[in-house]
Amino acid sequence: MLRSTRLAPAGRLEPDARGRSGGEETLTTARPEPRPPLPAPDPLTSFFWEAARRRRLAILRCDDCGWYVHWPRPVCKRCRSFSLTPTEVSGRGTLYSWTVGMQAFHPWFEDRLPYLLAVVELEEQANLKLVTNLVECDESQVEIGMALEVTFEVVSPELTLPMFRPAQGA
Amino acid sequence: MARRQRVAVVGVGYSTVGRRTGLSLEHLTAQSSVAALADAGLAARDVDGVVVHSFPHQYVGATQAADLIGVPDLAFYSGSVDGAAYSVAALHGIAAVASGSCHTCLTIRTVHQAGAAGGGVPAGDARVGGPRQFLLPYGSFTGAHWAGLYMRRHMHQYGTTEEHFGAFAVAQRDFATRNPDALFREPLSMDDYLGSRYITKPLHLLDCDYPVDSSSALIFTTEERARDLAKKPVFFDAWAMGTTDVVDFNLVEDMTHSSPWRAAKRMWERTDLSPADVDVAGLYDGFTFIAMQWLEALGFCGEGESGPFVAAGETRLGGAIPTNTDGGACNVGRRHGANFFIEVTRQLRGEVGGGRQVPGAEVGVVSNAVGGFAACALLTAS
Repeated sequence: MLRSTRLAPAGRLEPDARGRSGGEETLTTARPEPRPPLPAPDPLTSFFWEAARRRRLAILRCDDCGWYVHWPRPVCKRCRSFSLTPTEVSGRGTLYSWTVGMQAFHPWFEDRLPYLLAVVELEEQANLKLVTNLVECDESQVEIGMALEVTFEVVSPELTLPMFRPAQGA
Repeated sequence: MARRQRVAVVGVGYSTVGRRTGLSLEHLTAQSSVAALADAGLAARDVDGVVVHSFPHQYVGATQAADLIGVPDLAFYSGSVDGAAYSVAALHGIAAVASGSCHTCLTIRTVHQAGAAGGGVPAGDARVGGPRQFLLPYGSFTGAHWAGLYMRRHMHQYGTTEEHFGAFAVAQRDFATRNPDALFREPLSMDDYLGSRYITKPLHLLDCDYPVDSSSALIFTTEERARDLAKKPVFFDAWAMGTTDVVDFNLVEDMTHSSPWRAAKRMWERTDLSPADVDVAGLYDGFTFIAMQWLEALGFCGEGESGPFVAAGETRLGGAIPTNTDGGACNVGRRHGANFFIEVTRQLRGEVGGGRQVPGAEVGVVSNAVGGFAACALLTAS
């Protein structure tokens, strides 16, 4: 889940049907369980979320010049080609910057504080970045430039999020 | 086309400013516009241009603003929701007067406190499309979320500390204690700053500007017309916008050298003046780090050195470059850049008083925004 700083490596949550850890089942409150902020995929972006559901990280890539573009867009910003194809990437990258979310701006995050918000630069191309969460590491272990790899968290039945953790063996 | 005109600021005005004023966007817009006309000694019929900048969800258009206060005919108007806040309206207004598209231009920035933080959070089960679909699921909702990233990156590259950002907050609060119009006028200590809660660590609450209902208006006209008006005119010497290759705030290619560096470089190429000539600065402080990036980008200190520069008191009265002498948006409330244009204009008129006037100020610089887009301008007293 998003409570990255509280997850021991061994305790990584495997996706289940509800995307929630089992222990919370016993908590009965009147308040309905909040849902995470959900993307509204469109023809340009749906590949990203569908790939994540299959535990793959996919980025749009130009068919003509090989340039990756993120976020998804209809045109290659290097060669102006309109021919782009979702392409699986290695999922390896480095940490560009990070911050610790300490205030919930949405009900979903209220019991998930603090969380690590990060910008990761993918190894495929200079400045090919995405916004993500860091998981499986404590705040004290985070260092800009550290090697990271993608992992996937099923945060709700509708949503699997690509997140990043310290590269294994790094 | 008419030859390029020298452009002067001749009137400045604010609306009622505060938390939940109960006043509509139209009411606030009319208040600031009427105040700016009064400051200039102009009638509404003397205005032939109106430019506004707004959040899209809080939009009062230029033609609507003209109609509100009785401007009978517009030779030029423009409304933007894109880019560097009030400075977009300012630079459109300057360009319109300089080109002869109009001769007297009212420029306006109106903002409501509610929902000001980037359009807010989706209610209930609403889904989010566009670029925000790649942000919100990860808990990136507001400017504070990217601001924390910018601060952390600067700390990593240059050894900047939370106390350095705090030093800026403390220094500009000191100016605010001398500004009767500031909303925060109690002295601020470093302990107060460090004790304010984290929003997105390392960003503290007191790194953030203060959301309010406000409207700000400035009137620009030609040098020739300016000479006959009520207040001593101040002049735009140079101005520039700048953007980055990647405009999104989170994905911008270099967080410590974002758009302010491009705008500042371009502005200095358009003037004979240099940073050493500047007496007073109004640098956008939507978050404290933004003003500090501008200190570096404009050349008031070296690359990466804004932290020690601020901690040494160089942005205070008597320092190398007194900065945000009104207290900045952290203390006067969010005017989205317009307060810097107004305060520096008033500094160059020599009228601010209250123990915050920079003696003999003749050259000032103003700036707005960071990340993907920014703008700045240089003003002179003669």
